[in-house]
Amino acid sequence: MKNKFFFFLFLLLFLFSQKINAQTFDSTNYHIEFGNFNMTGGRKTSTTYTLTDTVGQNAPGKYTNTGYTVKAGFQYIYDLSQPFSFKIDDLDLNFGALVPQVGSTQSNIITVTTPSAHGYDILASENHPLTAKSSTIPDTTCNSGTCDQSTSGIWTNIDAYGFGFNAIGINSSGVVTNVGTSNFFTDNTYYRQFASVKDNETPQVFMSESQPAKDHSAKITYKINISPGQSAGNYENAINLIAVPKY
Amino acid sequence: MFDITLSPYQIEFVLKPNITITQVYEVTNNSDQPITLNTEVLPFLPQGNNGSVTYTDISSNPNISFSLSNSNLVLGQPFTLPANSKQQLILKIKTSPTTKLSDYYSTFFVYQSSPMTENDSNFSQAIGKIGSHILLSVSDEENPKVDATVQKFMATPKIKDIFFTPINFTGQVQNNTNYFFKTSGKITITKNNQTVKELTLDSNNVLANYYRRLTCAQQSVCTLSPPLWPGAYTATLTFDENLKISPISTSFFVLPLSPIVFLALVALVITFIIKTKKSKPLL
Repeated sequence: MKNKFFFFLFLLLFLFSQKINAQTFDSTNYHIEFGNFNMTGGRKTSTTYTLTDTVGQNAPGKYTNTGYTVKAGFQYIYDLSQPFSFKIDDLDLNFGALVPQVGSTQSNIITVTTPSAHGYDILASENHPLTAKSSTIPDTTCNSGTCDQSTSGIWTNIDAYGFGFNAIGINSSGVVTNVGTSNFFTDNTYYRQFASVKDNETPQVFMSESQPAKDHSAKITYKINISPGQSAGNYENAINLIAVPKY
Repeated sequence: MFDITLSPYQIEFVLKPNITITQVYEVTNNSDQPITLNTEVLPFLPQGNNGSVTYTDISSNPNISFSLSNSNLVLGQPFTLPANSKQQLILKIKTSPTTKLSDYYSTFFVYQSSPMTENDSNFSQAIGKIGSHILLSVSDEENPKVDATVQKFMATPKIKDIFFTPINFTGQVQNNTNYFFKTSGKITITKNNQTVKELTLDSNNVLANYYRRLTCAQQSVCTLSPPLWPGAYTATLTFDENLKISPISTSFFVLPLSPIVFLALVALVITFIIKTKKSKPLL
């Protein structure tokens, strides 16, 4: 009778046992088994709430032994691990032949996606003003002569010469929204200079948001207007477009 | 085309002097073309009160060194990332034994490394660059003490109607220590000692000896939306106990301005109608 009971018990054990998986982490360079010693953790959602938790996080005294710690544990890193993306659709801005007192423009579209945190800044700078062998197209100071790398101004006069840019937030259909750029450019008649690295100027923010963003875009218009006395030549420079998250 | 994803977008460590840590980043080329990339680490300073940074001409701290631990990659040397592919970059961060106990802020950049193409035209070459912030606290303690003060906490407007515009709560936190911390707490709005609403603060990093504007979860500005009952309200800003920041309160008043104006208008119209009827001559 006793043997039958144990046999029945083992039978139940095999019939109803469940598969147990240890968590593993893989990369091309390493493989770690049992990477997370928590009891549970992660993101729970329903139609009305989102919750992240980490239960049973351990390793007390780690700082004393190892000399470092992640600032806020696994749970905080869960959100930090979200990716940050930046796209520029066209990198080659060829202005072709320039005609004095006729503004020549080129444009490209930048797109940014930030994690569920605090937004982003897009900064811009140039390695130097547009330069040919022996001469330079100066950075624009706009109609009023007062715009610079941190202040925009209306630039429509044909006798206001130089090189500058405008940025306007657009949606996925190309419709102007001014999202992210309204604090820097009132509309598409406003321009400003690029900060010149050669002149020790600091890259300046021209697009910014303080909320998470998904595929937020802006159209950047680059404009050159030269004077009749501008020396002939092939003028060139490099424009840095820099995306950083808000800390 | 430049179409790059960088993960994680920020790392935060507390570490002792003379420690080496590594952080794995994943760089993804989302475009259909290979791209030549390069890497660099630049120190930054906070700018403004909303988490922006500036890369002014500040020199790197010689006591903190950065390098790549990948066998085939060197920090500052270009590498090619094939189309639609990923690359892990293993950043090694080392503090020297003489590192001053303080915070150090940098950005790990991945940028396009393309030589200027020769052109027989007027030409600008756009270069994409994407960064991930590194917040390091070099400390003997795992949880450096927090010493902070609240500045300019206020509700606007102070007097408002029961309908229409919301009440906004603004303020900033000044960090008086050499170590950053995260805000955590709430704004409790009460009327007659009854809680009307609680707004949860965003978890924002307040950098060492700097300030940060308060923001609320799910809102860009901490806001109490109408309609509201008339009366005197108090908004109290409290932080989690571990931050040891004293609570601070502000008050505002909600008045039934629009109903009063509406009733006055109705009374005027009725008075006008009655007067008009009375003044009509009897036929």
